[in-house]
Amino acid sequence: MTMCTKIRPQLTSYLDGELADDHGSVVRGHLRECADCRQCARDEAALRDGLRTLAPLDPPAALWAGVQSQLAAAEITDARKPRWRRQAARWVRWARSARWAPTMPQLASASLVAATAIAVFTWRGHHGEDATVGHVAVAQPLPPPVPAGIAVTAAPAPQPTPPSADDVTADLIAEPARTTASYARAIEELMKLAEEDRARWSDGDKAAFDARLTGLRDAIASAGAPRAVQRAQRTLIRYLQSAVVRDDVLLASGGAR
Amino acid sequence: MEMLYHQYKRRVFGMAHRIVGGSDAEEVAQEVFVRVFRGLASFRGDSALSTWIYRLTVNAALSHLARRGRRHEVGDEGLTELPAPATAERDSALAARIETAMTQLPAGYRAILVLHDVEGLSHEECAAILECRIGTCKSQLHKARARMRELLGPNLGQRSES
Repeated sequence: MTMCTKIRPQLTSYLDGELADDHGSVVRGHLRECADCRQCARDEAALRDGLRTLAPLDPPAALWAGVQSQLAAAEITDARKPRWRRQAARWVRWARSARWAPTMPQLASASLVAATAIAVFTWRGHHGEDATVGHVAVAQPLPPPVPAGIAVTAAPAPQPTPPSADDVTADLIAEPARTTASYARAIEELMKLAEEDRARWSDGDKAAFDARLTGLRDAIASAGAPRAVQRAQRTLIRYLQSAVVRDDVLLASGGAR
Repeated sequence: MEMLYHQYKRRVFGMAHRIVGGSDAEEVAQEVFVRVFRGLASFRGDSALSTWIYRLTVNAALSHLARRGRRHEVGDEGLTELPAPATAERDSALAARIETAMTQLPAGYRAILVLHDVEGLSHEECAAILECRIGTCKSQLHKARARMRELLGPNLGQRSES
């Protein structure tokens, strides 16, 4: 039994021809005299052969259309990104494709330079605003100094400053909404095309299309998170593309082939 | 671009299908091809193009499963769901049993089985794709096959002796 427990973990390598000669001969010798391990080896060989002869799986015909549609959507999203993000993405790609591996001191220096640059730009932005405010404030009479020990009770609450044009936070927050809106526009356009083709469809095709459309629209409506909504939108886009581009057989089968 | 797609579509779709299952395979395969085409310019050539594409496929499939929180860990109840041993047309029946049993495996085991045994890649290639050591790859394969044998039951190799 001890021998069996030693041999069995080696069966995978033995059957794959990966054991060195001396180890292989030990396993072979044991298999000659142990029926249980021999059966185990046969099972494993049958499994390995079964796995190797599994039939290749053909992707659905709509896969390529889906890839193209996603590539187009990604390009639209790219085009709408602010310039600094496109530039940053280019830098990241360059850094990844660079043949050199940056060392820690290089990374530290680069971080320091970047931090200094950000600090300078931020300071200049604030300084500019302060200078303007200060300029206006010069014309206003200064409030009387408050004597020490007297609390100021009616001090006005600080108002939140509106985001400046350089503030990218709002832009980042709006990005998923923009993508969703872009998909919605694509759906609208595809719907128009589908409506134009509809006249040529049989009643059965129309019913199948309407039923599928309702299902897909319900899926969009019930999806909560932006990613889920976008995924459901992409499914609808793919279906509409199939409906517009593909033949009636595909349409009648509900988009699945 | 289209040529590249046609060259790899079966393998990418097949791998995705066998790792994430039929319902999500198309979505994963799409994601892989979009990443491939968008990342082709930055492909460094450190590994073979095929290795890079398979790595993207396995990573996309495993991430997809993680996102969905789907687990195919096998409990004992999974064993009873497997179809009965073949009565006719042994090969196709065995293939069907194997496909079913694979869905019961943990995702990592499925990935190594698909890469090594289904796609016929070497341990070196599998290790490069899964970004692990060759030894780890071999031991994972051994565990995956052992789990498959458990799931498929005894006498898979037909000629039983006692």
